[in-house]
Amino acid sequence: MAWFLIKRLAQSVLVMVAVAFLAFSLFRFVGDPVSQMTGVETSVEDRERLREELGLNDPFALQFLRFTGDLLQGDFGYSYRTRQPVGEMILDRLPATIELGVVALLISLVVGIPAGIYTALRPKGVTSQSVLLLTLVGVSIPTFVIGIMLIFTFGVWLNWLPTFGRGGTVEIGWWESSLLRPEGWRFLILPALTLGVYQLTLTMRLVRAEMMEVMRSDHIRFATARGVPWRRLHFRHALPNTMIPVITIIGLQFGGVIAFSIVTESVFQWPGMGLLFLESIRFVDIPVMSVYLVVIAFFFVVVNLAVDLLYVAIDPRLRVREAA
Amino acid sequence: MRIQRHFRPALCATMALGMAGTAAAETFRWASVTDPQTMDPHAVNAAPVTSFLNNVYEGLVRRDGDLAIEPSLATAWEPLEGEDGWRFTLREGVTYHDGAEFTAEDVRFSYERAASEESDVRSWFAPVTEFRVVDDYTVEFVTDGPNPLFPESIANFLIMDSGWAETNGAERPSRDAENFATRNANGTGPYVLASRDPGVETRLTPFDGWWGEDRGNVTEGIFTPIGNPSTGLAALLSGEIDFIEPIPIQDVARVENQDGFKVIQGLETRVIMFGFGHDHEALLYSDDVSGENPFTDPQVRLAVAHAIDVDTINRVVMRGTVEPAGQLVPEGISGYSEAHAGRPAYDPEQARALLAEAGYPEGFSFGLKCTNDRYINDEAVCRAAASMLAEVGLDAELTTVPVRNYWEQLRADDYDMYLLGWSPGTFDHEHPIRFLMHTQDDEAKLGSWNFGNFSNDRVDELLPMIQNELDPQARQEMIDEVVAIMQEETAYVPLYTEPLIWAAKENVDLTQRADNFFMLRWVTVE
Amino acid sequence: MLDYIRRREGLWLFTRSPAAMIAALATVVIVGGALLAPWIAASNPYDLSTFSLIDGLKPPAWLPGGDPEFLLGTDDQGRDMISSILYGARLSLLIGLMAMLIATLLGVGLGLLAGYFGGWVDAVVMRVADVQLALPAILTALLIDGIARGVLPTALHQELRVPVLTLAIALSLWVNFARTARASVMVEKNKEYVQAAMMQGQHPLRVMGVHILPNILGPLLVIMTVDLASAILLEATLSFLGIGLPADSPSLGTLIRIGMGFLLSGEWWILWVPTAFLVALVVSINILGDFLRDLFNPRLR
Repeated sequence: MAWFLIKRLAQSVLVMVAVAFLAFSLFRFVGDPVSQMTGVETSVEDRERLREELGLNDPFALQFLRFTGDLLQGDFGYSYRTRQPVGEMILDRLPATIELGVVALLISLVVGIPAGIYTALRPKGVTSQSVLLLTLVGVSIPTFVIGIMLIFTFGVWLNWLPTFGRGGTVEIGWWESSLLRPEGWRFLILPALTLGVYQLTLTMRLVRAEMMEVMRSDHIRFATARGVPWRRLHFRHALPNTMIPVITIIGLQFGGVIAFSIVTESVFQWPGMGLLFLESIRFVDIPVMSVYLVVIAFFFVVVNLAVDLLYVAIDPRLRVREAA
Repeated sequence: MRIQRHFRPALCATMALGMAGTAAAETFRWASVTDPQTMDPHAVNAAPVTSFLNNVYEGLVRRDGDLAIEPSLATAWEPLEGEDGWRFTLREGVTYHDGAEFTAEDVRFSYERAASEESDVRSWFAPVTEFRVVDDYTVEFVTDGPNPLFPESIANFLIMDSGWAETNGAERPSRDAENFATRNANGTGPYVLASRDPGVETRLTPFDGWWGEDRGNVTEGIFTPIGNPSTGLAALLSGEIDFIEPIPIQDVARVENQDGFKVIQGLETRVIMFGFGHDHEALLYSDDVSGENPFTDPQVRLAVAHAIDVDTINRVVMRGTVEPAGQLVPEGISGYSEAHAGRPAYDPEQARALLAEAGYPEGFSFGLKCTNDRYINDEAVCRAAASMLAEVGLDAELTTVPVRNYWEQLRADDYDMYLLGWSPGTFDHEHPIRFLMHTQDDEAKLGSWNFGNFSNDRVDELLPMIQNELDPQARQEMIDEVVAIMQEETAYVPLYTEPLIWAAKENVDLTQRADNFFMLRWVTVE
Repeated sequence: MLDYIRRREGLWLFTRSPAAMIAALATVVIVGGALLAPWIAASNPYDLSTFSLIDGLKPPAWLPGGDPEFLLGTDDQGRDMISSILYGARLSLLIGLMAMLIATLLGVGLGLLAGYFGGWVDAVVMRVADVQLALPAILTALLIDGIARGVLPTALHQELRVPVLTLAIALSLWVNFARTARASVMVEKNKEYVQAAMMQGQHPLRVMGVHILPNILGPLLVIMTVDLASAILLEATLSFLGIGLPADSPSLGTLIRIGMGFLLSGEWWILWVPTAFLVALVVSINILGDFLRDLFNPRLR
């Protein structure tokens, strides 16, 4: 067990180093930061001097080492554009993205799991078939189109909900929260729906597949033969077995939520990390982009590590599979 | 100025002072595409920054609604006697937001700060050889020539309190890390920076101790950057914001037809044009011409001008919002040449004839480079132009590039023909002559945006004369001569002047300035 | 392996599923239209001389101001919407199919190797997969495009936009294939018939190709279908974010990005016609994928 832990940790560190290298090398190449930092009338020598000051003329390897070293010391550098510390900028935007992502995930689980169970238990029903078809349409509409449609309907046309930004936040220490006031929820609902729809369909389909699998497994058949009432059968015997994959879903969806939050945040001007990332791409703000990638990868690695460990804790049989 | 088409709202000078105490609190929310990246007036010379900071900081002089210079922190200015330069008499009794008093020392400090190596606006002070504080309320700038436009050229030189900057360790603008002035401000302007959340929200509140009078009734101004145009317009139409600039051209009709909203439309000072690789020896992107560059022939360049139907571009792509241009500055900018007001007519026959004369009866193919996120509908305009050029046999291979990579590529001479928009920073014709017409000269910092290196000895000779000429008549004649050369040689093909399209709720009264600066003090909410 | 009975059964099931039939029909029509675009489209959006700015912004033919020549209207450049969409679908399908095929080859290849040889090969492949998974598809695509932008000269990069985008999407999809292939190999390689083949001294490649690969064709086909849909959507999303294809080579995603500017302006067809078309295409492919999934996993029926 300890060996497994150590091995998983080592793998995670390896992944992080690779990601740091990728992040750095990519953004070392995109655009020209100097032309972003200066105005129209800055002279050629001034540009060159700035280039020197920023260390952009140093060898690639040296720049990367400097980058990694600084990261490890918690020094994430300064944004080329706003000159703020990048760590602080990302930390400022973190709560917005996390709250958006968590609420979207909750929507996906709260609606997706029951819908999945229902469609699994009544696979031939008209409702199930319609729901399935609907989810297919759901995964086939690009996220940004869903967002624009929601804005158009609920913001411009019906005028019920705000269409941009966060509004109505409450500060708890440095954490700015939308969740504590009804006003905050009004701002949150459209972006969270947009982000949640795709995840919802995934959850539903996965739960459905698992549930159907479980329903055919021996112990359920055995229980049926024993005459266990169907309600008890479904919810006491079948459901718990379906829940293990649900943990996987959360792990898997985390990446999706983060990735699509970039799109959602752009559409709703939601002041999270994704929006910051897009802005930094627009302005070739290399430090912000690199750190963002590293932070995302870090979250992902941590969540997956947690999911793996949870697996092992829940189901000892899986310990054999840890090499995966 | 003639280039403003609509409106000219009366400013309510009577409602000016002491708003904080009145009962009617007027919160005004507005949005634009870009967040000002810093609150430091000397760190970045970019329009979103200077425009925003003009609400908080003030310069010695400022521009009124028609872009004319008027007194601000200086009450009067005059040329020095016996030497080249300018003397400014400063306003007395002005205080900063934190209560400190404004004196000549602050001007010295701000000058040194803005002209320092760390500053991005130091080019404004390139002609200054000496700065003198004469007394507490008089300062002098000595320049290396007569420099009649110097006061105009420093309209955005914003004054910072020396004591405040020194106490907070912000003596110099910061290049790579932030300093106190990046997110805090202490100016003398009409509004105080109440809170700042970069990229999210910035709040301004009226400064009770402001010396000036014409200020609207906004008691709190909240600025939000909204990058996505559809989201921004939706925010306006759903009533969450009171004002947004710019809005896409195609949405003008929609906003105008919606009850409770209005469009404020005028012409900007930016002229959109095509430029050529004058000093390229061969075309880079041609399938049929190698080893030579047809664009070195003025006839070919003129053929390009005749082949493009600006009126149709205006009608379809720009929906009738632009004004065709024949010079590098629009009408209304000082130095605009009335004598050369025309532009080449749309005449594909003539274009074909010119091409045949130049030895390309079948035309040729070449690479056209354009931005796709810098100017209004830039990509669509280039596509339209390319299709018109194809009509006369000029087969343009269009490449569109986001602006973040664009300048780099132009500097690397990676184009045959390119799109450029130029807004004269000084609102004078000398500006584009200096940057776009003069031969490239890195040392003297001339022709630095003349990517294709158009070079004409007479233009090079005229520029310093224009810069130093004090007599307006003589100066205009010299500018006219440059314009004549530009048009004869077709150094550039000016297309049109970009429109400025703002949208607001009906109950908002404001002033649109042609340089796209938004002044909160000109806003009155009814 | 797809045996005869399975094939007949599939056909029978197919005729019993109206959704699958409609989806198949729609896919055939769209793919056919895209393939034949150069011959059936009224104008060519890549050829600036086949359309004129004068025809710009015409609404669909049945609306006032519409022109029967342009059944679904024109965009702001005067391009016929139907023609743009046919060419756009051609490009989107090309990118989607190529990306999916590259991902399949890469993923299956690496997965087979990892599963068959195990040990350090397995470790390396799976760690690379971990890194891949740690970066969501959008970021991966950004990364590849960015590297290409930096490494290639601009002109070449412009020319290689389609391959670069394809590669970027492919690289964000291969992990699924690799995991599926690897898992199957690990199961199959211990089975007797494979052991027997290996004992006979058959080349590992042959063992994999002849004995193992056919067994995972079913699940692979399902992933391929679903990934084709994802690839098309991913291209649209990247184009929406402005890092996809430029407007002079309009894919469906680019058309939607351009149409976005007309969301509130009244010219709704410029946005909604290509959007509806994209959604129809992706829904059809997904329905087919679903059908295949059920087919290859009969227990779920």
